[in-house]
Amino acid sequence: MAAQDALWYKDAVIYQVHVRAFYDSSGDGNGDFRGLAQKLDYLQELGITAIWLMPFFPSPLRDDGYDIADYRSVNPTYGTLDDFKTFLEAAHQRGIRVIIEMVLNHTSDQHPWFQESRSSRNNPRRDWYVWSDTDTKYKGTRLIFLDTELSNWAWDPVSKQYYWHRFFSHQPDLNYDNPQVREEMWDIMKFWLSMGVDAFRLDAVPYLVEREGTNCENLPETHQIIKDLRAQIDREFPGRMLLAEANQWPTDLRAYFGNGDEFHMAFHFPLMPRMFMGLKLEDRKPITEILKQTPEIPEVCQWCLFLRNHDELTLEMVTDMERDYMYDEYAKEKAMRLNLGIRRRLAPLLDNDRRKIELMNGLLMSLPGTPIIYYGDEIGMGDNVNLGDRHGVRTPMQWDGGWNGGFSTADPEGLYSPLMLNPVYGYQAINVQSQKRFDHSLLSWMKRLIKIRRATPVLGRGSIQFLYPANHRVLAYTRKLGNETILAVNNLSSKAQAVELDLKTYKGNILIEMFGRNIFPRIGELPYLLTLAPYQFFWFRLRKI
Amino acid sequence: MPDESILSDDFVRELMNVGDVDIVVGVPTYNDGRTVGQVVQAVRAGLLKHFPRERSVIINADGGSRDGTQDLVRAASISDLSVASDLHALRTLHCISTQYEGGPANGIAMHTILAATDLLQARACAIVSPESTTLEPGWIERLLRPVFRDGKEMVLPVYRRAKFDGLLIRNLVYPMAKTLYGCSVREPYPADFAFSGELGSHFLSQDIWNQEQGRRGTELWMTLWAVIGKCKLAQSFLGTKTRREDAPSDLVGAMRETAGTLFSSLDSYASVWHSTPEPVEAPCLGCEPSVGEEASRLNRKRLHDMFTFGVKELDPVFLSILSSPTHEELKRLAALPEDRFAYSGELWARTVYEFATAFHKAVIGRDHIVQALVPLFRGRAYTFLTDNRDSSVDEMERNTESLCQAFEQQKPHLIDLWDGGK
Repeated sequence: MAAQDALWYKDAVIYQVHVRAFYDSSGDGNGDFRGLAQKLDYLQELGITAIWLMPFFPSPLRDDGYDIADYRSVNPTYGTLDDFKTFLEAAHQRGIRVIIEMVLNHTSDQHPWFQESRSSRNNPRRDWYVWSDTDTKYKGTRLIFLDTELSNWAWDPVSKQYYWHRFFSHQPDLNYDNPQVREEMWDIMKFWLSMGVDAFRLDAVPYLVEREGTNCENLPETHQIIKDLRAQIDREFPGRMLLAEANQWPTDLRAYFGNGDEFHMAFHFPLMPRMFMGLKLEDRKPITEILKQTPEIPEVCQWCLFLRNHDELTLEMVTDMERDYMYDEYAKEKAMRLNLGIRRRLAPLLDNDRRKIELMNGLLMSLPGTPIIYYGDEIGMGDNVNLGDRHGVRTPMQWDGGWNGGFSTADPEGLYSPLMLNPVYGYQAINVQSQKRFDHSLLSWMKRLIKIRRATPVLGRGSIQFLYPANHRVLAYTRKLGNETILAVNNLSSKAQAVELDLKTYKGNILIEMFGRNIFPRIGELPYLLTLAPYQFFWFRLRKI
Repeated sequence: MPDESILSDDFVRELMNVGDVDIVVGVPTYNDGRTVGQVVQAVRAGLLKHFPRERSVIINADGGSRDGTQDLVRAASISDLSVASDLHALRTLHCISTQYEGGPANGIAMHTILAATDLLQARACAIVSPESTTLEPGWIERLLRPVFRDGKEMVLPVYRRAKFDGLLIRNLVYPMAKTLYGCSVREPYPADFAFSGELGSHFLSQDIWNQEQGRRGTELWMTLWAVIGKCKLAQSFLGTKTRREDAPSDLVGAMRETAGTLFSSLDSYASVWHSTPEPVEAPCLGCEPSVGEEASRLNRKRLHDMFTFGVKELDPVFLSILSSPTHEELKRLAALPEDRFAYSGELWARTVYEFATAFHKAVIGRDHIVQALVPLFRGRAYTFLTDNRDSSVDEMERNTESLCQAFEQQKPHLIDLWDGGK
């Protein structure tokens, strides 16, 4: 990579992709690293600056790779370690950084460590996991996978004790009270950092340590582990980044930034469902309320924003009333619901309404934080709720209208997942090739959006100030960095809206619409009147000329 | 087309910010600062509890209050600017207020609320009285749900009232509306009620807003319009309705609103009441015994005295209004000592019909006619109180129905007078 900007992640536009789902170069029905490398030109053209890869390690794939059986290798289905290195180098050559997953909290039960640990109570690795004679410890701990698990303890018939697991029972939690475990995990991270990986997305971080009498989440001991990892990274690999996956309220998440000495970035989980809620309610209140409750974070830190990802649209961070509303509005069919969430992609969630898709992406790119685009959402791919678990949002990338949607030359029956075939979202209707042909396609529009975002550092690094126009259907805010000010005005309503904005502070400025670069009237004494079409949004650069 | 000039530019700007809604709750006020805050808070709680997903607005149409009424209404707003920690609301709730010109007059307030409801394309509108201090959040549900759930077009209230509350309704409005229009709802002149947005638009498009019914008695006019238009009606039991201890007693005003509106309606709907109207169905939802057992606090002797004085003082007026037999009978009554006084239902029905005909023919100024009915009503109220002093609730109901029969029996007299001689 070129000269390092230590805060590169603040300006980044991240693309989340699963190697298996992107492009199959070998014709075996699974995407692989060689295939991903071949599609880097597409990603460069799209304009993204970082790729976040879902787990690609050897795994029994009972949780789509989040059940890791070997941390220092590549799942042979996706290629070899050399293939990964080649991909990494090619990405860097294009100015694209690579973020990989690191599942610290647990392993697969097929991992050799666990196999050793369960083999006997005297095994040296016995203490690498959390064992107990009873299933009554840590009673105050909630169950995360409500639909599949009955307890956080599972009985091991081999060593005849219970082991602790916060997720599936085939994912035993590592014991972070054991210094050997901590040392081993740091060695693994060093392995990848030395290879050139730019960042880790650390999975399920709140759950590393267990203590009786607590809910076993966000414990001080967990924070200390993160601080130690961060200090070692800063010392040995400056400029690399840690991204937290912690599905928590902003006030609880705040602690994961520490004093700028824990995570560089963290996902803003509660904001995402409220963006959907605000859109459906046609009311900015859910969005502004959660952002008002979001605490300040250290200057070097950043929120990570997303609309959709590989998981269900989680509704853990909403009230019961809000959850009921979200289910009724966005997941009318039971098959669309999973755990406390909704397993659907962006386009189907938004009724395939191009205006809503554009508005939500506009919000994603203009609210404070680093945006993440989930693969396929840039062309409006659909989902298949008939597939189990979250597989319905992990179907093959749709490249063209030909054989297997251009994803693989394998027989369709041999693909890791069925293709989308329906006339609305199927690969013959929604694919990259057809959208490349037209300037007005969603893909072309996304390219323009990303280009403007990248050319506007204030959107990545600037402060935000909400305007509160009396029209609650309009969400308006300014982003400010130094002398640069951007005004974003979003109509959350399905109807045209008029709005009066109090812009007295900016009197004398001319508004320049950032997509067309057209000039709007100068700001004067009176409230600034704007009219917006349904779901329309404006970004204006304020210029005093 | 609705007459939009009723709405000031500032108010239109506020409505623009509210945008289209599902529910409007209208609160007509005039110097109601002592009670309106409590009422609006209860309305807000009702909306949050029972209609959390619907887009709602509370609209206050004020007749020129100087006691902070409007501020109290506005303070109930829920927005992202002012978040009350004890409230959890999905949506913004606007509480807006406007002062209309030409007030105070409930009809103008109603016109303002109807115009706003129409502009906002609301599916349903509830009107609540700023004096309904016993209003509970459930009232909002009971008024609006039948419109939303059952497709009712108008929902009228049923209250649990003190035994002798609403004498004017029992002795004049109810029997007359029932006899002439088949309308047997308990509160034809409602303080708290609801209607569909579509019906609201029909109300708005009627040509009454520059007439007397458009200023006072408008709620009664709306009920009659809905009854005659065969709208789908329901009644909803709300709970106890109490009268403010210090509420001013303006019987002349009440008579203008009720008798004035009823008499006017006879002109508009002559063909309806000339025939035998079908009884209007208005099922009562959740109804309970609606009359309490509290003793009357009315001074019966004073009622009798005022009747006697009125008959004597207004003799020349009655000569123009009443037939000779009725006039003579009233004079005979006025000469009787209190313990022998009895203003029968039959005589009262005849009296009312003769007043209605005089109103129709405008034998003297119409407002004078309505005012002249006041002392006679006091006499009738005296008899009603006496007759029902020891009655059970059921007996009082039966007596009210007997009065309705008297109005029915006298109806040919009304038709004769209307179509022919005095």
